[in-house]
Amino acid sequence: CARDGTNCLMTTGELFDRAVGLSHYIHTLSAEMFKDFDEQFAPSRRFPKSVMRCHTALLNTPEDKEQAQKIQHEHLLNLVMRVLRSWNDPLLHMVSEVQGIREAPDTILLKAVQVEEQTKQLLEGMEQIIGRIHPGDVENELDSLWSGPPISNSADENSRLFEFYNLLHCLRRDSHKIDNYLNLLKCRLFHDNNC
Amino acid sequence: ILVNAQASMDLRKPLQPDQIKCRSYEKETFSCWWTPWTDDVLPTNYSLFYRKETDENAYECPDYRTSGPNSCFFDKKYTSIWIYYFIYIKATNALGTNVSEDYPMDVQNIVQTHPPINITLTVDKDKPNLLINWLPPQTADVKSGWVTLQYELEIKSEKDHDWDSRGVHKQLFLKLVGLMPGDTYVVRVRCKPDNGPLWSEWSDEMYITMPGKKDFTLWIS
Repeated sequence: CARDGTNCLMTTGELFDRAVGLSHYIHTLSAEMFKDFDEQFAPSRRFPKSVMRCHTALLNTPEDKEQAQKIQHEHLLNLVMRVLRSWNDPLLHMVSEVQGIREAPDTILLKAVQVEEQTKQLLEGMEQIIGRIHPGDVENELDSLWSGPPISNSADENSRLFEFYNLLHCLRRDSHKIDNYLNLLKCRLFHDNNC
Repeated sequence: ILVNAQASMDLRKPLQPDQIKCRSYEKETFSCWWTPWTDDVLPTNYSLFYRKETDENAYECPDYRTSGPNSCFFDKKYTSIWIYYFIYIKATNALGTNVSEDYPMDVQNIVQTHPPINITLTVDKDKPNLLINWLPPQTADVKSGWVTLQYELEIKSEKDHDWDSRGVHKQLFLKLVGLMPGDTYVVRVRCKPDNGPLWSEWSDEMYITMPGKKDFTLWIS
């Protein structure tokens, strides 16, 4: 680290703390969006939770603590990256879609924009971190898990709203997963499992 | 006649069970409880079934005993964090069966830990400053990062009615300054997962008397 303060690098631990802070923020916003939307629409529409599907369901992510602890950290980091990348397009879609929903509270648009931006930030941060922990190991393959918005009959407002609700539900779940995995990794890699 | 009428009214198949509540103390296992209808006079047998979003089949409760009467316990093997469970109760008596509606449930949203433990209060010598320390509940695995908690602390003077919140914190201590010399204070702490909605119950209340004499100066204008 040079004396004049240029080229001063954060430690990897500090970078990781930032990533954890960011993922927590993203999850908080996502949970709020889901709640805002749920309160506004669910009472009158009764969205069927049992048919909700997430585009990330195909990724084989750990489902509980034991599974998450057994998995090698390189692999868990890569899973985090795959989940994050798979949200690039759905988040862009979400920002444009929410503007077409007339009764949607304004707060949802503001939060959707935030989540979209912060997720990009987190992705960049994670790429930096992985580049340091395992140089040359950053997978750049693009997953096309999301098959794009369904070609829906725009007249059917209800199915459009349900599709959006489904997406918000998946965002809340995946952002929680990412936050949880990153917290585990932080404690495992930088605190010797004694956080 | 009245007694007979009453009895025949009550002789029917069970009412639809409608109260299901689930809680996870540590995000690794969870339990669900239901409330039997008190107006079901015939002996009624309750059973709990669940379906996971990833599996079309419904299964019966794996353990009716661990969490007490009218409950079902899901141990680690039966607990997945990021999927919906659809839970329903079946009530059966000699005259028939009634089934509750599906109760959709997601474990991350029902995590409500035990309260913080080992709350210690330390006062500065001769000063009305108070250091409060506490520890996370033992059942929550914060060491591995599986659970991350935040804490809220409340304080009040013993004679006051209302509690005063001193904010939400991630660390395991808080220093309060400028309390009233000679006053006795009560302190309590609670916690919640930093990405979940539910606060724990409050911890035990801890009492401490500040050093020094009460200031009886009365300002008369």
